[in-house]
Amino acid sequence: MASLVQEFTKGLWKEIPPFRLVLGLCPTLAVSNTANNGLGMGAAVIFVLALSNVIISLVRNIIPKKVRIACFIAIAASLVVAVEMLMQAFAYPLYEQLGIFVPLIVVNCIILGRAEAFAGKNPPLASLADGLGMGIGFTISLTFLGAIRESFGSGTLFGVPLFGPDFHPFTFMVQAPGAFVCLGLILAGMNFLNVWQAKRKGVDLDPNFDAGCSGCGACKMMDKIAAQQKLERPEPSKG
Amino acid sequence: MASQEISKSMYTVTSAPLWHCGKTLQKTMLHTLLALLPAAAMAVYRFGYDAVEVMAWAGLAAVITEAAVQKLMDQAPTSDDFSALVDGLLFAFLLPATAPWWMVIVGAALTIILGRMVFGGYGGSPVCAPAVGWAVLSISWPDFMDLNGMLLNWDLVEPLSELKYFGTAAIADIKPVSLLLGENLGALGASQGLMILIGGLYLLGRGQLRWFIPVSFLVGVFLTALLYNLIDPQLYASPVFHLLSGSTLMAAFFLMPYSSSSPVWRVPMLIYGLLGGALMIIIRTYGVYPDGAPFAVLLLNLCTPLIDLIQPKPFGGR
Repeated sequence: MASLVQEFTKGLWKEIPPFRLVLGLCPTLAVSNTANNGLGMGAAVIFVLALSNVIISLVRNIIPKKVRIACFIAIAASLVVAVEMLMQAFAYPLYEQLGIFVPLIVVNCIILGRAEAFAGKNPPLASLADGLGMGIGFTISLTFLGAIRESFGSGTLFGVPLFGPDFHPFTFMVQAPGAFVCLGLILAGMNFLNVWQAKRKGVDLDPNFDAGCSGCGACKMMDKIAAQQKLERPEPSKG
Repeated sequence: MASQEISKSMYTVTSAPLWHCGKTLQKTMLHTLLALLPAAAMAVYRFGYDAVEVMAWAGLAAVITEAAVQKLMDQAPTSDDFSALVDGLLFAFLLPATAPWWMVIVGAALTIILGRMVFGGYGGSPVCAPAVGWAVLSISWPDFMDLNGMLLNWDLVEPLSELKYFGTAAIADIKPVSLLLGENLGALGASQGLMILIGGLYLLGRGQLRWFIPVSFLVGVFLTALLYNLIDPQLYASPVFHLLSGSTLMAAFFLMPYSSSSPVWRVPMLIYGLLGGALMIIIRTYGVYPDGAPFAVLLLNLCTPLIDLIQPKPFGGR
């Protein structure tokens, strides 16, 4: 049970796509111009990812190794067609907004990535937890990115006007370059937090993790704070 | 930062005789400011108090943003080398003189953050910072960046948008001399052709700027415009018009040779300038925006690492 919870929660922060697991960037950049679109896209991905993970995990011992990718895609594609039809039936405006990016979920790296890295090796229940966690993490990221871009770029959040009528929307944010810049800044922020957390817990950083130390002051800042705390609270003298 | 660490480990500075030539970033930037002074003065003469306001907001916002971000990144503050001030001022030169204060502040802050600090600071930037600020603002608030629309109080017209929307007949009366003297509407400092030219020549004379990029850029502009002009003089403006209008001269002397984003060797510099000039005319001819100079600069900046692969062959090397 504990491991199930772990599989679920790792997708929410530790390996949250696409900020930690930099996968599925195409829909991330393309449909995150409003928070609503991000949420809708995320919901579609949760559905496909959780179900495809379960199905792939169930048939993982039947599929020959050499044709597994084709099988993964066939499974994901059938699920995506189902999502597309459901969207057409029940959320047509959203379907029109997302357009080509709903069918493109088939080739979304997260679906294939999780199928290959997790569902192909683990039992169905763990795969379900993994798929749900990753899907919810993806939804959170997309909604977060969409909320930032929408609130600056159109002055609204989930369609509700945020600022007064004098606000001139910062259109850059809802256009393509804004998506790249926003994503880059969020990634930088995540790296900063990563270093900060590791320092605070006193854990060594992952040697493969390139923090780009020349542009980040997290370590030095943390050291300064630690030095200050030591000054304020001198260690009790013995004897 | 990182470069210092590398230089410490890679190059050992041995014993004397060593002599510092006295060239510092601070002095370089002060001379650049001096070179920008005539154009700034001319802009104040033409546009009055509005120009002062825009330049002041841009400079102030740039310097404060740099200091704040450096605090966040735990770098040593470098406000005293005036590079942020130069970037802010160059950015202000590309704006209409009546730009609203909030837009100038946002643009100057983004010039520093997106143009410089996200790449690690001055010297690390692969793109020309003032052009980045200009591009972001042009995409975001086209109405406030529209030179004709923002400068309605003046009787004059902006030559490039006239050309774009009304064809060559609309600009037939505009004399090259009046373009050079800045007697038409245009961006705050970039339209003061003669003054920008004087500033550029001052930098050239000091040896701070090498002639390759400005000259090849202007040649590129001239040749491409001439080509179009020869194809159909009724449809395309004369090369001299393109050389003197909009921010061509500004791009040639200040934006294209931006130190961290332009190639370093002679041949790459010439290629870079020629391509930039050609691209600017192409953007002006087919693009949505009347003045394509900063976009051309940005696109060529992205090609710089590729062009820089052309390197001199060391003696005996293969």
